[in-house]
Amino acid sequence: MSAFTISRRTVLAGSAALLASTAMPVIGRAQTPKRGGRLVVAADSEPRNLNPAIVASNGVFFISSKVVETLAEASFDGKDGLQPRLALSWEGAADGLSVTFKLRDGVKWHDGKPFSSADVAFSALQLWKPLQNLGRTVFKDLSTVETPDELTAVFKFAKPTPFQLIRNALPALSSVVPKHVYENGKIEENPANNAPVGTGPYRFAEYKAGQYYRLAKNADYWGKDEPYLDEIVYQVLPDRTSAAAALEAEEIQLAAFSAVPLADLDRISKVPGLKVITKGYEGLTYQLVVEINHRRKELADLKVRQAIAHAIDKDFVVKTIFLGYAATATGPVPKNDPQFYTADVPTYAFDVAKANALLDEAGYKKGPDGNRFSLKLLPAPYFNETKQFGDYLRQALAAVGIDAELVNNDSPAHIKAVYTDHAFDLAVGPPVFRGDPAISTTILVQSGIPDGVPFSNQGGYKNAELDALIAKASETLDTTARTELYKEFQKKVAADLPLINVAEWSFISVARDTVGNIANNPRWAVSNWADTYLAG
Amino acid sequence: MSRLHRFLRSPEAIAGTAILALLFAMALTAPLLFPGDPQAIAGPALLPPFQDWSLPLGTDRLGRDVLAELFHGARTSLAVGLSAAGAALLIGAVVGTLAGFAGGLIDEVLMRITDAFQTVPGFLLALAFVSIVGPSLGVVVAAIALGAWTGPARVARAEVLSIRERDYVAGARVIGMHPLEIAFREVLPNALPPVLALSSVIVAAAILTEAALSFLGLGDPNRVTWGAMIAEGRAVLRTTPFLSIIPGIALVLTVLGVYLAGEGVVETTAVRRSLS
Repeated sequence: MSAFTISRRTVLAGSAALLASTAMPVIGRAQTPKRGGRLVVAADSEPRNLNPAIVASNGVFFISSKVVETLAEASFDGKDGLQPRLALSWEGAADGLSVTFKLRDGVKWHDGKPFSSADVAFSALQLWKPLQNLGRTVFKDLSTVETPDELTAVFKFAKPTPFQLIRNALPALSSVVPKHVYENGKIEENPANNAPVGTGPYRFAEYKAGQYYRLAKNADYWGKDEPYLDEIVYQVLPDRTSAAAALEAEEIQLAAFSAVPLADLDRISKVPGLKVITKGYEGLTYQLVVEINHRRKELADLKVRQAIAHAIDKDFVVKTIFLGYAATATGPVPKNDPQFYTADVPTYAFDVAKANALLDEAGYKKGPDGNRFSLKLLPAPYFNETKQFGDYLRQALAAVGIDAELVNNDSPAHIKAVYTDHAFDLAVGPPVFRGDPAISTTILVQSGIPDGVPFSNQGGYKNAELDALIAKASETLDTTARTELYKEFQKKVAADLPLINVAEWSFISVARDTVGNIANNPRWAVSNWADTYLAG
Repeated sequence: MSRLHRFLRSPEAIAGTAILALLFAMALTAPLLFPGDPQAIAGPALLPPFQDWSLPLGTDRLGRDVLAELFHGARTSLAVGLSAAGAALLIGAVVGTLAGFAGGLIDEVLMRITDAFQTVPGFLLALAFVSIVGPSLGVVVAAIALGAWTGPARVARAEVLSIRERDYVAGARVIGMHPLEIAFREVLPNALPPVLALSSVIVAAAILTEAALSFLGLGDPNRVTWGAMIAEGRAVLRTTPFLSIIPGIALVLTVLGVYLAGEGVVETTAVRRSLS
């Protein structure tokens, strides 16, 4: 494989020299895209189920969003922050009971069959609503999808559903899969879940476990002249420290999702030929959250929760753990969200004395050993930063006399311990904000969620007022009124602290200078990469 | 006395003992020199060594004192190394003695069990055990002992097989001692020396296994361990290599010290045996 790369490189060197006068690879300057080439990308996990219509997660999108397309994609400057993909336009009825999609003409599946509204209806009713992790909530009231013609799909809802929510859900939740591939047999066991068939700019070509995924150019793609690349190879590099070395050795050309550790970015940004890009993740904000088990009597006391919030130095977390590549959080909606965020919420400044005073007031005096009570703290193992924050939180709690015992688990054990067994007092979690609080945020505080639903309120928190507010917002159709309700929601959450929002962060990409059209939409790493190219 | 002289004449033994003495000193003085939690944040993050004399070896990514962590890490390494080796020797000696002394079906069963444990690499066994039960110090010790008792068991059995034919064992039988009493009172103490000779190897391996488990994130997160320190430093290996190098050197020296001292003891006893 390396011999092949070298020969290709030699061949391309000639053409690069021709282009050099007009297209020097300069960061931020537009240049004419070049055709051909193989983009090698670092992949740090190997999802088994690659069907984004069932598993809507960034690890799956990273690979399969190039193969299976959504109805619309997020955009920096499009109307409502969207740009068309398989749908050309979308319109919500005033009563909130239907949404009409006009679909793109002349689109073909990778197996040559034509794409039509029947595929959209099938995906929505058979996959998004019953099977998809996020679609279950957003599409819960979807009753039918009417297909008056090949290129029109009308979503009918049993209860009024805000059009704003459906719009905001399109980029992550609306992956369309082919009906003719999935209609026979059990959908969860369909082989296409592991080798997806879609309409996207790349076809799924090959997967070698522990080595790589290979996607090949779809010559019949509907986008004019797209895609530019011949191939995308996802090189599996589970060791986070190896991505930087692989970039420097030119074995890979792109490491997305902060595959290069934050602490290494300063050094790598000075390496000639590499660029560090912080854009392109605006639609994928992760939140650093302290999950609280309200079944513990100490933690059910608001004063104790306030004390914990005061004990955390958010600036330290951003500066030392995230090395500045994050922002401090004020509440459950991240600051970078253009639609819903409000700064008008109760805040908790870092103040150890106040935290101690609040704990004294709550009646938990320091014992002879300096401790008030002991807790079990479970940091989520998915990110270096969540683990480090766990180490920090233990120290921050020790400073106010709370003895926290760290419990480390691997991912499946952590999810079981926190979300099924509730065997935690505090947990550190990284929920994702997906452009609308109703998609994956309100579920973090809402009560009545069955045991075992991951990334939801499993801390036994119950607040009738907040539940009513969430229910009201979910059926409010007017965008302004709905936005106001979610601002109220942020205030209430920040005041009652069902969980503590500490910081918000996104990812960093490191790429060789030759990779063009990077980070040109807010979900770039998980978008279709039809216009990405290699300059030489 | 002459044994001690012989021991002290070997330079390896002296080096090993010196390193071990230093290690014990570190472990014992850690709570005096660095009271409080060694994982407390003590200064600015990523301070290089020899910059600030209140933090001589600098600080890690969260600003924790590397020297304090090193001292407290010595406690963990020694505690795990010694208790895992102790447990492995105990299990091994008991199983080996029972198998060798009883013979027959009991011997067969016990030795096949030993075989089964021996075919699985010790580290994999420890890894599987810790990931199922959950990481804490006691579990780590048990996990390491689980893979290390087979060596002592085999040696003990071989030794017991020869001892049980001796006259004094027959004598004990004649006076009507209970077989178990003979096995553990008369036979085991005499079978022990060659078994104990394995201890240095087991301690060294246990310290390394503990470090490897911690490196993989399966150590006790509430205690400082050298393996976890190396793993922590790995993310910043290119910019601040000292965070991995310092605990790495400590680990190498410790294992070397245990091994050299153990060799010294074995050599001294070997000379004594050949002389007698």
